[in-house]
Amino acid sequence: MKYAIAIILVAVTAGLMVVGLFVTAQAGGTIGIAKGSALHTAKASTPDQALNNLLADVQRRNWDRAFANVVSTGGITEPAFIQDWIGSNGSVRSFSSLEGFEVRPLHETNDEAQMRVHLHFSSPVGPIEDVRDFHLVREGDLWKAVWPKVEIPSVPAQVIPVTYLRWDLVTGSAGDEWGAKNVDSPHVRIISMNAVDSAQGSVVMGEVTNEDTVPAFVTVNATLVDGAGNAIDEESSFDKIAHVLLPKQVTPYRIDFPNLSLKNVKNVHMDVKATLVPASADPVIGVMNQKIETDSQGKSVLHGDLLNQSGETVNIPHVIVSFYDNSGKVVWVSDGYVDRALLPQSTEAFAVEIPKSLAPSIHNFHVVVNQYSLNNS
Amino acid sequence: MARLLQFFSILSLGALFCGVCGAQDLHAPSNVTAGEDVALPTSGSGKATFYLAGPGISQKNDVTLGEEIRLSGQDLRYAGDYTAILCSDTCHTATFYVTAAKPASVIFLVHPSRVPVGQNDAVSGVAFPFDQYRNLITVPENVNFQLSAKDASLWPRSIRTQNGVAWFRANSGKSAGPVQAVASLDDLSAKRAVQQVASDPCNLRITGQRTPNGILVQTEPVHDCAGNVVPDGTIVTFTATGPNGKGTVDAPVKQGIARAKIESPGTSVISVASGVVMGNEIRLGAQP
Amino acid sequence: MTTAAENPYSRPIPLLAIVLVALAVHGPLLLMELPSSSFDANFHMFFASHYAHHWFNPWNEKWFAGFSQTTYPPLTHQWIALISNLVGLKMAYMLVQLIAILLLPVGVYRFAKIWVDDRAASYAALGVVFLGSLTFLVYQAGQLATVASAALYLNALPYLYQWMTESSGRSLVKGLAVTLSAAAAHHVTLIFGVVFFAGPVLWTAILDARDERVAASTSGVLLRAAVFGLLSIVGVAIVLLPYWLALIQHPIHQIPIPHDSRANFLLNSITAINYFVIPYGALIIALPFILVRGASCPRWRPLLYGFWLALIFGLGGTTPLPRWLLGRAYEVLTFERFTFWATLLAMPLVGILAIDLLDRFRAKAAVGLALAAVATIGGALFWLNANPFRPTATAKVEPVDAFLNRDGHDAYRYITLGFASELAKVSTYTDAGSVDGDYNSARLLPEMTNYGSAQLTNAKFYGTAGMSALRAMLEHANRYGLKFIFVHDPYYEPLLTFAGWRKIETFNNGDVTAWAKDDVPPAHRIASDAIPPAWQGLMWGILPIGVSFVAIFLSLFMRDTRRVPVGIPLRSETREHHIVA
Repeated sequence: MKYAIAIILVAVTAGLMVVGLFVTAQAGGTIGIAKGSALHTAKASTPDQALNNLLADVQRRNWDRAFANVVSTGGITEPAFIQDWIGSNGSVRSFSSLEGFEVRPLHETNDEAQMRVHLHFSSPVGPIEDVRDFHLVREGDLWKAVWPKVEIPSVPAQVIPVTYLRWDLVTGSAGDEWGAKNVDSPHVRIISMNAVDSAQGSVVMGEVTNEDTVPAFVTVNATLVDGAGNAIDEESSFDKIAHVLLPKQVTPYRIDFPNLSLKNVKNVHMDVKATLVPASADPVIGVMNQKIETDSQGKSVLHGDLLNQSGETVNIPHVIVSFYDNSGKVVWVSDGYVDRALLPQSTEAFAVEIPKSLAPSIHNFHVVVNQYSLNNS
Repeated sequence: MARLLQFFSILSLGALFCGVCGAQDLHAPSNVTAGEDVALPTSGSGKATFYLAGPGISQKNDVTLGEEIRLSGQDLRYAGDYTAILCSDTCHTATFYVTAAKPASVIFLVHPSRVPVGQNDAVSGVAFPFDQYRNLITVPENVNFQLSAKDASLWPRSIRTQNGVAWFRANSGKSAGPVQAVASLDDLSAKRAVQQVASDPCNLRITGQRTPNGILVQTEPVHDCAGNVVPDGTIVTFTATGPNGKGTVDAPVKQGIARAKIESPGTSVISVASGVVMGNEIRLGAQP
Repeated sequence: MTTAAENPYSRPIPLLAIVLVALAVHGPLLLMELPSSSFDANFHMFFASHYAHHWFNPWNEKWFAGFSQTTYPPLTHQWIALISNLVGLKMAYMLVQLIAILLLPVGVYRFAKIWVDDRAASYAALGVVFLGSLTFLVYQAGQLATVASAALYLNALPYLYQWMTESSGRSLVKGLAVTLSAAAAHHVTLIFGVVFFAGPVLWTAILDARDERVAASTSGVLLRAAVFGLLSIVGVAIVLLPYWLALIQHPIHQIPIPHDSRANFLLNSITAINYFVIPYGALIIALPFILVRGASCPRWRPLLYGFWLALIFGLGGTTPLPRWLLGRAYEVLTFERFTFWATLLAMPLVGILAIDLLDRFRAKAAVGLALAAVATIGGALFWLNANPFRPTATAKVEPVDAFLNRDGHDAYRYITLGFASELAKVSTYTDAGSVDGDYNSARLLPEMTNYGSAQLTNAKFYGTAGMSALRAMLEHANRYGLKFIFVHDPYYEPLLTFAGWRKIETFNNGDVTAWAKDDVPPAHRIASDAIPPAWQGLMWGILPIGVSFVAIFLSLFMRDTRRVPVGIPLRSETREHHIVA
């Protein structure tokens, strides 16, 4: 009897453990631990399994095993493969973690397959979604992903003359005479405002400019007011604005009111606040080859290339775009973070999505580049 | 608040006993200047209690009737109404007013700290004379205002204070640069600086040329309509439209000129703007 | 039968000696303030600090823009608050923790005696001093309340057994007093203790009554168990009334927060080491014996089943059983405490193993057992530094507190980023309030409860959920007067930069940076329906600590009746010659 009970308990424990392997592993959320099926298929006999294995290993940062599932056509090395995933130069990608993925087959034969993967990254600036197409081939019984050679951007050694232009702020000491340290706040002005309903709620957007001769730190707040004059909600532009505006610079802003319809809104109170801040006029980032196109998924996307014209690395470029209709009214503001660093004198592509319903009415657009640099933070 | 209560308590006490006063008397001076010592003659004999209540002070002393009560300048350094109460068998009340002393400082506020050139009534200044005890001097005084730029006097004017305030309004000048505003009263003066800055750019013009790396485009020196160079850091937006799409660069003015590099290999039309001001357009042929 | 002269290990170890061993082992570690860098120590000190300043007002404005401390049983915190007036907050924490540790072997000794004789019980009690799970909870997790409550509960259960089997009124009174004290220390221990601890005790009492090892009848045992249970429920309901009212008013509806103790240990070796190997230590070797010996005697089987269930729960997501049985509560609980309880439940059987080995191998066994015990506690202590998930208390918080306490900065709210458990330390020593906090169950702000992440200061470890919660909070900075952010991890700097915060100061050579947003208005009190009324504050300040005083009084001045049940088999049913007369 004593052995019977002990054996039963051991057997039940083992059985529960086996069942546990097939139930979704509950480690989700802690970075570096995979979600989805807890089991790694040892032998990838289908393209789907092969890609799932590869991405699960990337998720766990098990680089050796991930690279073993890759066929290198262009002679890619493991360090280059790793860098392709984890980024470099303090870019968004280098701070990001692959949280999840969804694999969808596009085309499959006996020896080759084309798969599309939606990749979900977590990053310091919010979730980042990426769509990537993978080509897989069969090698014997195993399927492997073909990895093209990754062009790692490099900057040739050069000397770039810099004429630094920056503003410092000197504040008087507490003992200064009354009125002696009065420096006015910068003059900023909202030059356009538009409120629309969107799928996620109401959106208030427009553009604001610094009319002064000194840099301004700008925040825009909006309050929705109902018919009785009561405030319904108050939100701010948060990261959908370039907060530091140099003299005569214009930035789009967008303020989201999630789950709130404009039906009950009678009025919108706008409040723009500007303060003096130390600032730098560098780096200068050009936006080249801007074009609205339709991507492979049928979405309207504004494409372009950022060109860093300065001698310092921009670690995280942030693109904010205002879209105008025929009459020059701002009809939408979109933004996006570029997940690779912008090296000195080099370019990096960006893409910003436009809502499908608005795409036909867009006549023009204005791109502003905001940036974060480790050296200047 | 506590002092106010104390003051009213003393006042009530004085009023209560005032009906029966007469055994002693207290003589208040007709004119007292802040910070000066004062003697209050008393009559009668014996011991008494003296109360003084005024702005920023309330005190109680034992005094001898028939002798002068000496109040130090420190007790009377704030301008305003004071109440003196002398109590023995009965109480006697006297009030007197302390006026501000001679001017010791001028508080000068000027607005704004930055002003575009050529604006009407754009600069305002207010001066307040104070004595050494920070009492506002309400008797009329002549305050001399002077605006000067680069050692040249632009705008001298003498204005008499009303209720302790003198003020002016002035147009901004035609030239960018610092303007010194001075308010002076006798040998006292206060200086403030107003930065006159260039107005919006005027006649914004660009030139451009192709280089192996793209189009190098730059403005001519950027001035406002009065000929002032716009401040460095002012953003100038270059826009190139070509077969590859649109290219834009927000470039800051540095040493009066804004420069940018634009990659647009085909025939391109390049325009320029700064804020709401548009400049000229240039057309460059395709890259050879 | 061997005699004491032949075998020096044949006598039970005196309980006082065991307590002194516990003092000798854990006293120096606590004097060195080793638990101060554990995950929850700062949390407990933060709560205690509030009681020290506002004994009768459980509404604490320092976290979550205001929260009620009635959401966590207060006993240990109130004791720390009381003692802190004499020795300071940190040392008071250590002293209360020490008391809990010293009570534990006493509890295990008394609990084990329900099943085994004095000798085995004494070895069980001695073994508990060296438990890896105890070391893990005290020095790594900082779960003061769990340890204290378990110690009290183990001390209460023998009274329950005596009351059920002997109708002893004294046992009923003392059992109730200690049970209520255990509940006042930690409610979760009490709730699950009914299944894991009280269940086997009740079952055993029924078996004893059925087999006439005790004078009581089965129906009598059941009746008295019902009386005890009913009185306990009423008592706990009254003593912790503000807690229950808070829970009813605001049930925990927040999105589940991931915790590594819910992981599948088979898929993550570090998690397995942390939550299984380290807590069990040398007990892993004893597992086969525990199973076989526990099953060998019908009287021990309730204990074995309790142990097995706790073991399975302690495995977290390795098996689906906890999820099936607990439902939604599975996502709220953490599971390291179940491992602790499993090891406590195993100790009576381990005591039997110890005396078996000592009887057979004597000095060699003593040396072996001693080495196993030392290796277990030593391994757990070593793991404190080797564990890759260890709390990294590297942020010096003093400059942060100094900043918040000067120039009116405390008129605004703040958060910290990358401070881990040091967040509570920052909060303890400043008057400024935060919208963050280190106690998930008290959160009511939608910016925190709508996402599956815990503290904002650890947002990045919760991936998109964590960063979304942080973004949501930053978006509403003006609403909460959230002006200052202290950063101890550059990971967060891009978000702050893009969202409009500016770096204004650096501390400790740039190790910590202070960021501010200019347009944030001063913080104002956030209206909440969770503020306890004054009468609840009064109750909260009197009843929990009051029952602990009553329990101490009764323990000191009310003598126990008979202490050991008769006719209890020490060994398996096949070895009748070892039955204690």
